[in-house]
Amino acid sequence: MILRALAAALVASCLLAPAAGARPLVLAVGGEPDAGFDPIMGWGHYGSPLFQSTLLRRDAELNLIGDLATEWSLSGDGRIWRVTLREDARFSDGTALTAQDVVFTYNAARDAGGLADLSALKEARALDDRAVELELTAPRITFVSRLATLGIVPAASYGPGYARAPVGSGPFRLIEWREGEQLVVEPNPHWHGGEIAFERVSFVFGSEEAGVALARTGAADVVAAPPAMADAAPTGMRVLHRETVDNRGLAFPMVPDEGRTTEAGAPIGNDVTADRAIRVAINQALDREALVALALDGHGRPAYGPADGLPWDNPEAAIPGADPEAARATLEAAGWTDADGDGVREKDGLRAAFQIVYPASDSTRQALALGAADQLRGIGVAAEPAGRSWDEIGGLMHAQAVVLGWGAHDPSEICYLHHSAYAGVDYYNPGHYANPTVDAHLEAAEAAPSFEASLAEWRAAAWDGETGYGPRGDAAWAWMVNLEHAYWASECLDLGPAQIHPHGHGFPITHDIAAWRWTCE
Amino acid sequence: MSGWLPALLAGRLIRLAWLLPLAAVGLFWLVSLAPIDPVQAYVGGRTSQIGPEQREAIAAAWGLDRPAVERFASWLAGAAQGDLGRSISYNAPVAEVIARRFPASLALIGAAFVLSFALGSALGLIAGATRGRWPDRAIRAAAVVLSASPGFWVAILLIAVFAVGLGWLPACCAAPPGRLADEVSAAERWRHMILPVATLSVVGIGPLILHTRQSLIAFLESPAARHLGAHGASPLRLAFGPGLRHAVGVALTLHLAGAGELFGGSVLAEAVFAWPGLGQATVRAATGADAPLLMGIGLATLLFVFAGNLAADIAARLADPRLRGRA
Repeated sequence: MILRALAAALVASCLLAPAAGARPLVLAVGGEPDAGFDPIMGWGHYGSPLFQSTLLRRDAELNLIGDLATEWSLSGDGRIWRVTLREDARFSDGTALTAQDVVFTYNAARDAGGLADLSALKEARALDDRAVELELTAPRITFVSRLATLGIVPAASYGPGYARAPVGSGPFRLIEWREGEQLVVEPNPHWHGGEIAFERVSFVFGSEEAGVALARTGAADVVAAPPAMADAAPTGMRVLHRETVDNRGLAFPMVPDEGRTTEAGAPIGNDVTADRAIRVAINQALDREALVALALDGHGRPAYGPADGLPWDNPEAAIPGADPEAARATLEAAGWTDADGDGVREKDGLRAAFQIVYPASDSTRQALALGAADQLRGIGVAAEPAGRSWDEIGGLMHAQAVVLGWGAHDPSEICYLHHSAYAGVDYYNPGHYANPTVDAHLEAAEAAPSFEASLAEWRAAAWDGETGYGPRGDAAWAWMVNLEHAYWASECLDLGPAQIHPHGHGFPITHDIAAWRWTCE
Repeated sequence: MSGWLPALLAGRLIRLAWLLPLAAVGLFWLVSLAPIDPVQAYVGGRTSQIGPEQREAIAAAWGLDRPAVERFASWLAGAAQGDLGRSISYNAPVAEVIARRFPASLALIGAAFVLSFALGSALGLIAGATRGRWPDRAIRAAAVVLSASPGFWVAILLIAVFAVGLGWLPACCAAPPGRLADEVSAAERWRHMILPVATLSVVGIGPLILHTRQSLIAFLESPAARHLGAHGASPLRLAFGPGLRHAVGVALTLHLAGAGELFGGSVLAEAVFAWPGLGQATVRAATGADAPLLMGIGLATLLFVFAGNLAADIAARLADPRLRGRA
């Protein structure tokens, strides 16, 4: 009894200990950038860049809205962006943000060899103090994603130490970063975006277990919850399920095996999956709701394309799944029959058999591979799950189906996955898919005069009424599920409207952190 | 005193002179064999945002497009002048990364070292003195269980009991969340160290207890101890009196020589407790195939273990004059 009272007193003293004043917000959502907070090297592409602001930003519906920019336009030939800056933007050291800073940031990021891909930029120029011109090497509408992700740094004070002492025009300024441990930020008094409800925000880094332990002891307000225990939120916290396009699907080898190999000697092509009927039948047969239940404990939604629910998604390209009858009919019509009665169809002596390769270290993908193989057995297709290391997958993915995952707030991913120019390049188009009509749509999208105008072409690439990369067309992939990211959030915290999250669980939730509010006080 | 120490140091310096370059070659060879593409590891989850052209630019900017031998040669040339290169995962000079994280690790390892030595040799002495009776049996059982327990499991158990279950101690980190370094009192720092240090101490304490016990028993069976016993000295008094020097010399040698294990254990303990030390950086460097950082940490570890062994040898000679003739 005495012991329990003592313990309670200790817990209470731990909880009440923090300094007086407004309640600090504590997050344990991972996402520590080991390389620091330098946008030129790639900081700030997922979630909020915290310290810097960007020319544009995406709202909860993923529409582009101005942040530093008050006006923006693209020239008729799609090669020159003209951006007008707001006048009240100031860096956290009090100096004004001008066109020179934007020009410096863009040109430096182009040359840095970091994780901000500005290879499409030819040159950034200042027209006057408030106007900037960004000239591209070729028309590329997806460059607009850079306008929404590249944080602006001050040209005058940028230097080698910037990544660990960032100065920017964003909602927060850095107070202290104890690497590997904790980041402490406070509102930037010069921010142009309005009031922030927190006097201080801390990001605790370290392992997922540490975050869970902090949540249980009441020391953290927002925590990235491990999927296995997502529903067991500690007292005082609620579970937030965020829809994502963090997707998983089967990438098919699209060409027959003609003995070709990659430069590294990996075989290319698979005679079974090169047949469209097989790929369409798989898309028809897969019961994605069952896969969500099996592999994700129900925390996800079925995936029919690479960008479900995003503006460049085309729902018309999908075909309904969970219909083994239709799948069998498709296979029969294409000449795949089970003549020898062994449960596996053949056509001209070729058995409908291939491997589904998945990274052995990833239990979700393993469950998907096993579940899909089980469902395909029912339509007479023998898909054999095979767990491998990523290194081995690199040598197998051009000749066998692979469970891969994508999902970004950027349609250039659609281009990387389906354009023939990226066939066999890294992980982009492992199946060597090539369709001139799809290529033309993708190129037309990149050359569009505005982002809104490009949307129709992105959708047409998936299905334009006759062909496309989607299941109704070439069925280059069989998408299976979109993950759901789970967070625990304090019952006293209002996180506002939510975006559909990209690939990656954790830091993306901070995207609108400047608009979060306490509701209890 | 004179004579043996300079000879020992000279011998060890010569050994270090050929050990360091050999270790550097070996480490680099291992890193280049690792089936990890450093560019892919650097890009990580952003594959869809980084096009092929940018990958080439990254490889060029970090020199990853050059052959391994050439990269090693330029690293070696830099290292000879004291420049350990630049870490791609931290975008900072390797020496800076190590210098920034070493103090936290050293505090953890140092505290665990002292604690496990004091506790381990005391328990070993008690066990030896009460041989066959219940304190001995209990201590031996604990030692065997502890040496069979993986460090991370002990860590999770300690968190479950003392942080989550009882709420007595913090579950992670080196300081309470939400506060700046200078707002954290020394008492709170110590409180945050308790669980990680306890976890790390457990790593080496089992063998220490058993060895101390064994060497005390050997002493207690010697004619000298029997003689003292016949004059009325109790085993416990013998253990913490004349037996101390016999047993602790061995224990200290063993413990110092095990400094490398302590370093290895700290990698795990730091991961579980989110302790901002060198262990975290090691994991990051290995998974990112960050050759310069991995080499820097590897060589720093080598120096650390080497110094531990040297200290063990010196301590052994101080404790036992018979060893001083050997270099």
